[in-house]
Amino acid sequence: MIYRVRHITEYKYVSPVSLCYNVAHLMPRDTQMQTCLTSSIKVKPEPISQQERIDYFGNKSFYFSVQDAHKKLVIDVVSELNISTNIVLPDLTQGLTCREYLDLICVSNDPDFLEAREFLLDSPMIRSSQELADYAKDVFQDDVPLLMALRQFTSKIFTEFKFDPNVTTVATPLDQVLKLKGGVCQDFAHLAIGCLRSLGFPTRYMSGYLETLPPPGEEKLIGADASHAWFSVFVPNIGWVEFDPTNDVMPTTQHLVTAWGRDYSDVTPLQGVIFDGGEGQTLSVSVDVQRLGRTR
Amino acid sequence: MPVMQIQSQTNSQSESIERQSELSWYPHPEGTYDEAFTESRIARPHWQRLVESISSLGKDGLSDRERRALRILRDDGATYNLAAEPMSPKVWSLDPIPSVIHDKEWQKIESALIERSTLFDLILKDIYGPRNLIKQGVVPPEVIYGHPGFLRACQSMEVPGNHNLLLHAADMVRSQDGNFCIIGDRTQAPSGAGYALENRTVLSRVMPSVFRDSQVHRLAYFFQALRDMLSKLVEDKTDNPRIVVMTPGAYSNSYFEQALLANYLGYSLVQGSDLTVRNGHVWLKSLQGLEKVDVILRRVDDAFCDQAELRSDSYLGVPGILEVIRSGNVVMANPLGSGILETPALLKYLPQISQYFFGHDLSIESVQTWWCGDSHDLQFVKDNLHDLIVKPAIRTASSPSIYGRQLSSVEREQLFERIKAAPHRYTAQSYLAASHTPAWQNGSVCSRPTILRTFTVSNDTSYQVMAGGLTRVCAGENDTIVTNFNGSKSKDTWVMSKALDNDLTLTNKHTLPQGGLHSNLPSRVVENLFWMGRYAERAEMTIRLLRTVFVQINEVDSLPKECRDVLFKALSVQTGSIPGFCEESEALLNNPESEFVAMVADASRMGSVKSNLLALLTCTEEIKEMLSADTRKIINNLRDYLFELDRAYINGLPEAPEESLDNLVTCLLALSGLNHESMLRGIDWKFQEIGRRTERALQTATLLRSTLTESLSQLNQQQVLESVLLSVEALISFRRRYRTQVEVEYGLDLLMLDETNPRSLFYQVDQLRLLVSDLPRSETSLREMSTEVRLIIQSLSDIQLANLETLSIVDPMTKQRENLNQLMMELQERLELFTSKISDKYFDHKTSGPQKLVSTEWNNDV
Repeated sequence: MIYRVRHITEYKYVSPVSLCYNVAHLMPRDTQMQTCLTSSIKVKPEPISQQERIDYFGNKSFYFSVQDAHKKLVIDVVSELNISTNIVLPDLTQGLTCREYLDLICVSNDPDFLEAREFLLDSPMIRSSQELADYAKDVFQDDVPLLMALRQFTSKIFTEFKFDPNVTTVATPLDQVLKLKGGVCQDFAHLAIGCLRSLGFPTRYMSGYLETLPPPGEEKLIGADASHAWFSVFVPNIGWVEFDPTNDVMPTTQHLVTAWGRDYSDVTPLQGVIFDGGEGQTLSVSVDVQRLGRTR
Repeated sequence: MPVMQIQSQTNSQSESIERQSELSWYPHPEGTYDEAFTESRIARPHWQRLVESISSLGKDGLSDRERRALRILRDDGATYNLAAEPMSPKVWSLDPIPSVIHDKEWQKIESALIERSTLFDLILKDIYGPRNLIKQGVVPPEVIYGHPGFLRACQSMEVPGNHNLLLHAADMVRSQDGNFCIIGDRTQAPSGAGYALENRTVLSRVMPSVFRDSQVHRLAYFFQALRDMLSKLVEDKTDNPRIVVMTPGAYSNSYFEQALLANYLGYSLVQGSDLTVRNGHVWLKSLQGLEKVDVILRRVDDAFCDQAELRSDSYLGVPGILEVIRSGNVVMANPLGSGILETPALLKYLPQISQYFFGHDLSIESVQTWWCGDSHDLQFVKDNLHDLIVKPAIRTASSPSIYGRQLSSVEREQLFERIKAAPHRYTAQSYLAASHTPAWQNGSVCSRPTILRTFTVSNDTSYQVMAGGLTRVCAGENDTIVTNFNGSKSKDTWVMSKALDNDLTLTNKHTLPQGGLHSNLPSRVVENLFWMGRYAERAEMTIRLLRTVFVQINEVDSLPKECRDVLFKALSVQTGSIPGFCEESEALLNNPESEFVAMVADASRMGSVKSNLLALLTCTEEIKEMLSADTRKIINNLRDYLFELDRAYINGLPEAPEESLDNLVTCLLALSGLNHESMLRGIDWKFQEIGRRTERALQTATLLRSTLTESLSQLNQQQVLESVLLSVEALISFRRRYRTQVEVEYGLDLLMLDETNPRSLFYQVDQLRLLVSDLPRSETSLREMSTEVRLIIQSLSDIQLANLETLSIVDPMTKQRENLNQLMMELQERLELFTSKISDKYFDHKTSGPQKLVSTEWNNDV
């Protein structure tokens, strides 16, 4: 299935910005299930220098610097993705039990396992804790198959947490989210990652888009889609298996991946610094995910 | 106590005995390896000559050498850890007894260090490349992945040439079995090489004959290699690279060393904010505009170098620089991300890593290290905590080593709980009793453990090792290991050579001079020079007026009330202490002592003598590398006299309050004398001179306005005028020229109009006219006068056109000389405007540093 994603980011400043240096993670990467066919990024005002690169995690990063004074900065990205339609979800009852997994990861010399251990460690926005381990541990009984437990854990977050854009911000720490029992997709992804790492399961942060369908009989609104976040866990012989606690599903064709990392800070859509610009910036984002059909 | 066996060749027998007995105090601690003496207490051959010299110098001789060394170090401004306290920098401490290493032994050390640097280079390339060390299980993933010094943004960044690790320092000790052992590495911005150079310079001056006779390997080869290395990094791009030393600033611990290195190597010393990224290159913001930078020798830690991609809260970096490095348009030495190699956890795995890359062990081992992330090691650490030193795997200033044996059993349990909570963040090392070296401490020769920091620099095919290094001495006999510079004495390190090295001093073999002397001064440096001039002048004028008033209030004839009021108020105006005496409070005017004390000694009061001088000292620290040796001496004296001032004023106004001010004036005069007689008339001198002249003009206009505007009775008028003349050193000239006619008109003639009086208003503004006429201009500017030139011309003609009779007219209603008041006010305003125009045009303004771009709000998302 082919999708077109348009992601427009617009910054407005109180007074002119004289200089800015930015790194964007806005162009989708390739994965086993998706191929990025085209991706174009337009920045206004025109950057004096720009460079596309592959970052540490294999994501596409885009560096640019603007030297023209500006009160408005617009980054307009249009990408077309081909998502494989024959995704077969793994049999949840098969594979290692939680205990077998935890015993194996300590001793395994499998290079994939060794590398996955990076995603067990604390990262800039996620710190393991006893509280997080306690919240999840009932699900991960020793003799339960790991995949089954992960699926149940995804449902647990979905049912016990309320989706509420007004209770958290980008800076709300995990222990707060756990207390508030609410938040948005990034909070749920971070929470799940924190719980799983606290128990000893290497987990990474997935950033991308979700295709939303309009209510039956209604036209889809332009710009109504949004960026999305979920998580994935390393499972031997299968690889990284994804789970979406916000929607209680295992992602298939409606989840489009942009980038992955240890947490949000590794894949921030746009990071950087500006000079001048006064007090207060406003940011608006609009995302459209459009299904183009089976071929272009 | 056995007498040391030395072959002292003295003439008199009794003298010889005396000297020997003094050195016989040298205690030979049982069971420790001594660098200078064998177990049978005979000087080792390579120490023999030095031991003889120490012996013949005697106690007094050594004390004398130590004092001389200290004085030179102080005059050189050799400080560390300034810690935001310009009043009390700690002077670098040098032991007059060097440490000596045998040539043969050194050859082994040298090859071991080259081997180690080569290995560390391979590790660095692997960590930011394929990470085979992790994938193949040689190094546990947590050692690298769990370390904040592993900068993922630096993945696959390339460095021109063979090596990624360009500079490396290793700390080593000789253990009791006589073998050397490395206890730690510095790999991002190694410090100490400059201090080693300073130690050598000073020691060869205070011990010239010993040094000359000893055939010591020279350090200059190392620095030549460093320069060659930096130039070659960009040899395919330019024959004449612009290389800068990037410092965290005047308050970094080793700022002296950074300034010294920059000067010695011939590079500009810059701060992050002196650089900017434009058009994909890095540029130095200089007075002449932007100048492209090719290579940066950095002393700023990894994570602080780029606010755009690394720590956005840094004040030390250059936003966007990482991308310029990636594109190859600038090279940084050491490359960013190299700090990861400093983790002590790596020491545990070095044997395996050496096997992995070389197929053999390292020829000098590292201290035995346990990494708590390994469960066996964790258990070992638990069982043996008493005998171990616990070091954080992540080195920060706030997490020092913990010595297990210094803890109570409860404390050890608490420590282990902390370790257990995050085991991969802790390492432990065994105690290592370092070999001892004779050290000069508190007036006698003691036996002290020492540690040596060695330095290597990359060259075409391999690494070059500094022949010597920085030896540091533990303060106590049983101290284990010094890990930082604080409080420890250092030694020059002599590697004996069989033959004399060829003479080598650094010459510009590969690089042409960078466009004339100081042509590429960062505008920050120029701004500090400008302010240095202003503060010096401001302080001097203030002190002079205070001194004049202090003398008069203590005279037998009490100061008439009318004069007193005018002069006191003038003091408040001059020091900016408004309202102060201007409030006309009788109580304060009758009891002015506390106000005087504040005007002189209160550092927190803007405009006080002390605050002006502290501001001056701060400026000088910022431009340390620009100051001549004589200037540094004067600055040191100034600091001493400021201490004296504090002492004199500590219990209120002293009996003769002017006395402690005299020395300050002398220092300030010496400083301005040096400016005049010793500084090249470059852009740096010009801006300092502009600062001085503007400030003196401003201060003079202020003084004339505040003292001569008010009309007083004739006698009192005379006394005020004479006070003013005295304070600006013009009273004698005045009397000679005008005899007894003490009229305001004549005073103004001398102080305003006289073109031969270097303190007259006319003189200052006329000098300013000359100075501003040939400042750098932008190429596009038209023929018309710039605003700052116009302001000066206007002021000059106002002064020239002034009619003294008119200025002296007193308004019968207000009893004020309104015309004088008006003219001085206009001059003040114009000069203030002039300084702000100069500063807008030539100085960089960091009114708003970079701010972080806000993140996407969660709320927009699903």
